[in-house]
Amino acid sequence: MSAQAGTVPRLGSSLDSRLRATARSEWIKFRSVRSSPLALVATALIVVLGAWLLAAGNRGSAAASPASKAAFDPVFTVLQGIELGQLCIGVLGVITVTGEYASGLIRGTFLATPQRAQVLAMKALVFTVAVWACCTAMSFAAFFLGQRVLSPAKHAGIGDPGVLTAVFGAGLYLTLIGLLGMFIAVLVRRTPAALAALFGLLVVLPIVFIEIPGKITKNLGEFMPDAGEKAFQLLHSGAYTLGPWQGLAVLAAYIAVAAVAAFALIVRRDA
Amino acid sequence: MSHAMAASGAGSAVHAPPAVYRRAGAALAAEWIKLRSLRSMLITPLLGAVACIGVADLAVKNNAAGWAHLDAAGKAQFDPLVINFNFVVLGIVLFGVLGALVATNEYGSGLIRMTLAATPQRGLVLAAKAVLAGLASFALAMVITFTAFFTGQAILFGAHAPHLSLGDHNVLAHLLGTVYYMTAAGLIGVFTGILVRSAAAAITSMFGLLLVLPVLADKITPDAVTRHTVPYLPLNLGDELLHRHPGRFPGLSPGIAVAGLAAWVLVLAAAAAFSLRGRDA
Repeated sequence: MSAQAGTVPRLGSSLDSRLRATARSEWIKFRSVRSSPLALVATALIVVLGAWLLAAGNRGSAAASPASKAAFDPVFTVLQGIELGQLCIGVLGVITVTGEYASGLIRGTFLATPQRAQVLAMKALVFTVAVWACCTAMSFAAFFLGQRVLSPAKHAGIGDPGVLTAVFGAGLYLTLIGLLGMFIAVLVRRTPAALAALFGLLVVLPIVFIEIPGKITKNLGEFMPDAGEKAFQLLHSGAYTLGPWQGLAVLAAYIAVAAVAAFALIVRRDA
Repeated sequence: MSHAMAASGAGSAVHAPPAVYRRAGAALAAEWIKLRSLRSMLITPLLGAVACIGVADLAVKNNAAGWAHLDAAGKAQFDPLVINFNFVVLGIVLFGVLGALVATNEYGSGLIRMTLAATPQRGLVLAAKAVLAGLASFALAMVITFTAFFTGQAILFGAHAPHLSLGDHNVLAHLLGTVYYMTAAGLIGVFTGILVRSAAAAITSMFGLLLVLPVLADKITPDAVTRHTVPYLPLNLGDELLHRHPGRFPGLSPGIAVAGLAAWVLVLAAAAAFSLRGRDA
């Protein structure tokens, strides 16, 4: 990139200002598409309303026998709506890219900024910042609402060990799912195919691994992208008992692979 | 198409609208051309069928290998039909997504405007689409269900584990119930696609409604509200058709499950018809 900046010694087009301009145009595209706020609102509704429903529905088991009380995870229980909400964030990541291909806008984007890697990097950055802010906010809202509904049965305070990490990690997890969707979308460039690949990885394969009993499937099942859900669990189970950060690292590894492939392909292919 | 034009041309010559059955035939012919000329509509069902049967056979194979090591309680619980048909949880998502794509594909390409200009009777367009998508779903479901059953039970037979044949008590009814369930999922996909008009929203709805929501709702301790709602999610209704022993929900029976799935399809069909009539394309 600095090499490219060197070959174009135009006034006022320093790398810094070009990055800023690309980020600004990506931000305009992100916020002016009607589906972006819609997807974020849908996710927020699912996660926050879900926290309320899940807390109300599980109050009984939190107060039942000592054994079920010990196995009750008040944080994961109320944040579990994320398993549904992640579909909306995944879609948002996918259509942020495929929407541009479908409308043909991508050709205009690449004409304006031929440094395609820069476009993708800024797109990912803008998406990450915007989605991460929203998702962290909804994660904290869901947590506080859920704990209020759960009490006086077993519930958690934000200061309890591991809780802050978990609530923070829930927002991070959602953001990472969106990023994964985004890079997969760059690879396949079509909405249905990208959604099928993303949801296949997130939802379908883990179920396939559960349905086929055996050592291999059990071990593989722990290292699917949904390992990132460990981020918002207080009680950890499974053969390898991944912790919150290890779980997120597994998800991040998938994103890294998809991102490397996406950056390699986007500079090479026709738009 | 040429048939349709000839029909309407002949009609206008004598100033009488074409007969209803001719219009229906023309609409069906047009929908059929659109359905079979989509490249993805051959590859995706084929791959989906292979995946479904593959998962079914792998699950049966691994379960059959473990059968000899089960204790008495495990052996008593071993249900050759259930381990054979666990894949249906995922199979219906395939049907839902295919149905959604049949409907939303036209919105993505803008072809829907042409379709509705050619056939302003929008209810007729929707009906033709649903009939063909339903028949295609039914055919695919038959192939998947019976292939999975015969290969799965043959694997169990080979492993000297308990197995079933088509003539056994109620087995055929369960298999046909599964076909019905998958066909219903395909139609739910078509009507949802017409309702939301975008592939992204329709595919997400299918994954959410058919797979994630029921699994999530299952974890809630039953209370007054969930006891009367959760069993009627499509996944739980379909499950009831598949299990030979009384299922997890005491209020459900196979009859209620059949009626419940029909209700999902009909309510969505009514909503889709209503919105297709009222909205711009």
